Amino acid sequence: MSAKNKSKNDVEALQGKLQSIKGREGIIGYILRGPNSASIDLKDPTKIIDYAILSATAFEAGQDMSAMFEIGEVESIITEGENTKILSRVVNEHRLSIFMEKNVDHNRLCKDLNLT
Amino acid sequence: MNNDPYAVALKNALTEINNICADVSRSFIFAKDRVIATGDPEPDEETMKKTIDSFQSVAEKADAIGSLKAFYVNGNKGKIILSGVNDMYLALAASEDADTTYLHSVTRVIIPTVLKLLETITPTPPASPIPLQSEPSKQLIVDTLSGFFVGDSVQIDTELLEEWAKLLNQKSISEVEIESVDGEATQCKVKEINDSKLKGKGMIRIPEKVCKTLEVKKGELVKVKPAST
Repeated sequence: MSAKNKSKNDVEALQGKLQSIKGREGIIGYILRGPNSASIDLKDPTKIIDYAILSATAFEAGQDMSAMFEIGEVESIITEGENTKILSRVVNEHRLSIFMEKNVDHNRLCKDLNLT
Repeated sequence: MNNDPYAVALKNALTEINNICADVSRSFIFAKDRVIATGDPEPDEETMKKTIDSFQSVAEKADAIGSLKAFYVNGNKGKIILSGVNDMYLALAASEDADTTYLHSVTRVIIPTVLKLLETITPTPPASPIPLQSEPSKQLIVDTLSGFFVGDSVQIDTELLEEWAKLLNQKSISEVEIESVDGEATQCKVKEINDSKLKGKGMIRIPEKVCKTLEVKKGELVKVKPAST
């Protein structure tokens, strides 16, 4: 299997897993953004733009800070608000942001999605 | 660096944190746009300034999650922790093996205790908190305006412009800021939608030239808010 096909299969598998976790208690939704497409599934569609902008900014800030403090390649970013948090990770060439309530165990979520 | 009692006390607190947690390589405390205290060794000015700028850029867009409380970056060679402590923020850079839970418990005890102690001794707080003022904004669907006479103004519903003017206690809204999903942003003059068929549909009509600047197409969503005057 070519590297490109493997990457495509990995992303499809991830999309399947995201579908399975989206109904869990405390999960608000996710944005999976690739070079040419995006999958968005959020409980409140009126917040799509706000969440998309915030997650894009968080990725950018995370990359900038990583370079400044020389902490190597970014593995994950957590953006924590009053009651909500975002887990951001790069999966192959895709940027994944999962929105959840603050009390959700994001480490457990990563394990369930095979992102560790 | 600031030599007021707050800054000195906080610097000592950061130094103690560094002593307790050997994994912490650099640390500083900031509020709004200025550094209040630094740990030992002191991070360079440029790193601190850029960190604050990056953090502020996230904070400005964090209304959707009810204001920014903390920001963590995990890299394969280390981690960065930025967390709110009272009205300030603490920035820590630590090695990849650092026990984050332990770090949190230490910082959440030491820094607030020092601050509480200082408040009882000195009457003046160290700095104002990061402003978390929420601005009116709206997601709108893009419709393109083309032709020779479209000008540079965008068009949105009168009701929305009136609502914003009322909220901001202004006579009218003359300019808006538009931001795409990718974070491309621009400021434009705004008029009310003149095509009656398009009124009340949550649309923004944008001249093609501005669409190119924002890299948006017809049917896409953009975030629109009144421009700050």
